[in-house]
This record gives sequence, C-alpha cells and structure tokens, in this order.
Amino acid sequence: MARRLLPLLLCLGALLLPARECLAELVVIANAKSGVERLGREEVVNIFLGRFRQLPSGMTALPADLPAGSAEKEAFYRLLVNKDLADINAYWARLVFSGRTSPPRQMRGEADLLRFVSETPGAVGYLERAHLDSRVRVVFEFSAER
Amino acid sequence: MTINFPAIVKRGAAAARRDALQTRCRRFSSRSFLGFLCLGAALSAMPALAEEIAEPLVSGLSLRGFGTLGMARSSTDQAEYIRDLTQPGGLNRSWSAKVDTVAGVQANYQIRDDLEAVVQAVSRYRYDGSFRPELTWAFLKFDPNPQLSLRLGRVGTEFYMLADSRMVGYSYLPIRPPVDYFGSLPISYVDGGDVVAAAPFASGLLRGKLYGGLMREQTPISYESFDLGGSLVAGGHVDYQQGAWLWRVGYAQLRFKGELPAPVSDLRSGLAASGIPQAQAVADALSVDGKLARFYSAGISYDQGPLQVQLMASRTKYDTAAYQDSRSAYVIAGYRLGDLTPFVGRSYSHSTAKPLSAGPLMAALQPEIDSLSAATGTDQFTSFVGVRWDFRRDMALKAQVDFVRGSADSRYLVRWRQADYDGRMNVFSLALDFIF
Repeated sequence: MARRLLPLLLCLGALLLPARECLAELVVIANAKSGVERLGREEVVNIFLGRFRQLPSGMTALPADLPAGSAEKEAFYRLLVNKDLADINAYWARLVFSGRTSPPRQMRGEADLLRFVSETPGAVGYLERAHLDSRVRVVFEFSAER
Repeated sequence: MTINFPAIVKRGAAAARRDALQTRCRRFSSRSFLGFLCLGAALSAMPALAEEIAEPLVSGLSLRGFGTLGMARSSTDQAEYIRDLTQPGGLNRSWSAKVDTVAGVQANYQIRDDLEAVVQAVSRYRYDGSFRPELTWAFLKFDPNPQLSLRLGRVGTEFYMLADSRMVGYSYLPIRPPVDYFGSLPISYVDGGDVVAAAPFASGLLRGKLYGGLMREQTPISYESFDLGGSLVAGGHVDYQQGAWLWRVGYAQLRFKGELPAPVSDLRSGLAASGIPQAQAVADALSVDGKLARFYSAGISYDQGPLQVQLMASRTKYDTAAYQDSRSAYVIAGYRLGDLTPFVGRSYSHSTAKPLSAGPLMAALQPEIDSLSAATGTDQFTSFVGVRWDFRRDMALKAQVDFVRGSADSRYLVRWRQADYDGRMNVFSLALDFIF
C-alpha cells in the first residue's frame, strides 16, 4: 500500500511544479516478445503519433493509450512532445478524418493496458513505473534521458 | 462588321437565377442562426462525447463525426467573401452561417489487421447553393506493412499540404484554411487511389505519396456550374519530418474534361462563328477541354510544444487563357497559452493576366473577352488574427478577423463583385468546432 501511495504523494506534492517533474516515472513498455530492447524518443513519437509504426525488430507496432481523462495520458504527451491533449486531439482529427491513420487503441485503464501489451506481440504502451509487472518490458524511460 | 451574339445577353434569366440563389441563401442564414444557437446549447449540455463510444456496436466498426457552426460577416456589400470556389455566393454585411458551417460523419470498419474500409459524407454549402450531403471518401485501405499504404476508391486529394482536412475545423487553428491559398482549389476528392511509402532516413522520416483519379465535383461559374467530372487528376509529394520540422514539396496536375459553361461557351461560339482567324484563335485559347492545370507547392511546418508555425507557397499554371496563372503563399503562427491559442497570419495571392485580342473586326466582343480574362485575376494580401479556445474536450470556439487588402482587379476569390468594389474588406468570424 505504502509503495503505491508514495509516488502518488510525490506527484500530489509536485502539483505545484511543472508536470515534467511530476511524471518522471512514466515508462514506455512493449511486449516481451517484440524483439525490442530499447526505443529512441523519436521512435516512440513516430509510433504514438502514427507517423511510422514499425518496431526496430521489423514487427508492426500497435500503440495503446490510457483513457482520455487520465492524468497519465496527459502527462505522457506532455513529456513526449510537450503538447496539450487538445493539441493531440486536433492532430488526430486531421489524420482520422483524412482517412489516413488511426489513433492508438484506447484502453480502459492501466490493468487493461498491461493485459493488452502482455498478450499482443507488437503492442507498445505507457504507464507509471510503480504499476509495471514482469509480463512486459520497459523500452523507454523519460527519466533516463535527462 | 459587328457580330451580335444572342446567347451572351441572357441577363434577365441569369439575374432571376441569381436572385433565387440569394433568397435561398438568406433563408438559410436566418434558419441556421437559430440552428447554431440550438446546436450550441445542445452540445454544451452533453457529456464529452468520446467517452460514450468506448464499446462499438459491431467489433471493428467505429463511427465518428466532425462539424463547424460558423457565423461570419464582412464589411462590404460590394462583393461576397467566399471560403473557396465551390461556393456560389458568400458573405456580405449581414451575419451568415453558410460559408463555414460543415457537418461530416465517418465510418471506419477494420476488416482485417491490414485492411480497412472508410466512408465519409459531408454536408456543406456547395456549388448549387444547397447543403446536400456528398460522399467525400469511400475507399478500401490496405497496409501490407508499416512502410506502405494503398487506398482504392474515392480518396481525398492533397494538392497542398493539409488540403485533405480542410473541412475539419477542429483540426486547425484558424476558422478556415487561408482563402488566398486554398480558396482556388475546387477539388476535394477523386475516384481513384493513392499509395504512401514511408521509411526512416537520417534521423527523420521520409515519406512519399502518389495519387490519381477522376474528378466528380462541380464548381459554380457565374450563373452556371462547371462540371469537372471526368477531369483526370494526378499528383504526388515528398515530405521529410524530423523532430518539430516538416518539409514538403508537391506537384499535382488536372487535365480538364469538357468546356466552361456560359458565358464563356457563348463567347467562344460567337468568336468561332465569325470565321475570322484571329477570333478563332481567341476561341481556341479560351478552350479548356484537354488542357492542363499544374500546381507546384512547397510547405514547411514547425510544431514544437505550444508553438505552431506553417509556411506554404504555391504556383499554378494553366495551359489555357481562360485562367490566369497565379502564385500564392501564407504563413500562420500560433502559441498556446493554457486553453487559449492566439494566432496571427498573412496570406497572399497574385495572378498574371493573359491578354487576348480578337482584332479590330471583333471590337464589339473585346469587352467580353477582357472581362472574361479578368475574371480569374487575383491580387491581394490578407492579414488575419484570431484566437482558438479549447474550452472543453473535443470542442473549440474560435474568433477571427481577416483584413483583405487587394487591388480593384482582385476578383477571382470573391463572388458577385460590383463595379465599385475596391478590393478591400474586413471579415469577422466566429465558429464552434467539434468532433465526436
């Protein structure tokens, strides 16, 4: 319990700080059979923004998003491209309604995302490090970059 | 010798048609204003729409939509401001919803992992003055691997960067794509197909697209409409994306099928009937059937965090004297501050006249020829400033003012220009954009 509460308290405490500081603990995860050890930031951007969805191993990447209202989703795009969710929505409106690319599939929550990533070979998702489990592999850490 | 030419002088019938069109438009504007208020109220009473559609009725099927409720007016009654050349009339000094109001629905059906069917219908103010919905997309998309994507059916065209999302107000900052740049494109889709290839290159991503197909759309010309159906379109572009930067160069061409309607057709037959070689040459020069229009374009976009900047430039050349060759460009910059994104921009459109002379024997027709070749003339700058307010998820309110500053000869991008229009007007616009 305490282990779960700690990051939450840290985040709450950090609310006054910019979001960047607060969610340094978000990590990008992939399926253990994806054949991928590490992704670069630009590769993560390409996968989640639908520009180029191929993992370095050659497998097709299947990105998964947390629900629209979640703080983690907001923080993820803030950390990744420094964009508001409204900007991300506008971006997807352009791609979806020009019939080009679909946004990442939307999960119901972190448990759902973990299940999807662990069961789907090309899946890529993100969540708080505290919620990781052994079924998935961390392929990108925002904190490690700085 | 003077030639009388019955067909050109159809002013009576034409004026009646124009009046009918305008009445229809006026009727629409008052009704739509009420509609605007009602829909606005209904939308803001609704919970965020996206949450409701988490579970599709049929697996693999998703239904989405977009729309804009716009209200705008200009500062003059001497010419009507239009969003693009597909609109038969536009704004004057009374508030009207017709130029910017759009509604679209789209269904995506994932048939297999690599195969998707997409259908989209859009209702907007169109060439015949109605809002009759049109099937804008209907295609099968096949993605054999992440590098390649093929689409077959009715697909959107990208003569210019972002041209295939012009109807989706929610997807961009200003109320409408800059008219000086996008306004002269009469084409949204073709029946054909396209192929996109992408590959990582250096530290960025290199993409190329080729498309082609037959046009199915019409565009209003004076009192008639020009059916571009069957005109063959082909084009492509290459872009390179690296970090916040996107660079693109593109080319597209359109081979006209069919001739322009009255008054051009009447003038051409009058000239040809004279039997005078010089007049025949003018008639031939005004022919469009089989002639090419070529569109060259380049664009740069910079998108970093709260800052967005776009710069695009294009050049259009016609192998016919019925259209003036033109250049256009625009720049827009916006900066997000919380829920508000103020933006500012400037656009430009300038054309080169192609003078034609039918000779002294046809002097009586020369004014008609001159007015025809002047009809596609444009020479104007537009400065615009506005703000987008993302007041709730999937909705944005926008306000914008455009300052159009042109010469009196700048007439291609306005409709129903009166003789004393001086090429200058201001346009005041409000819009509510939404997606669901």
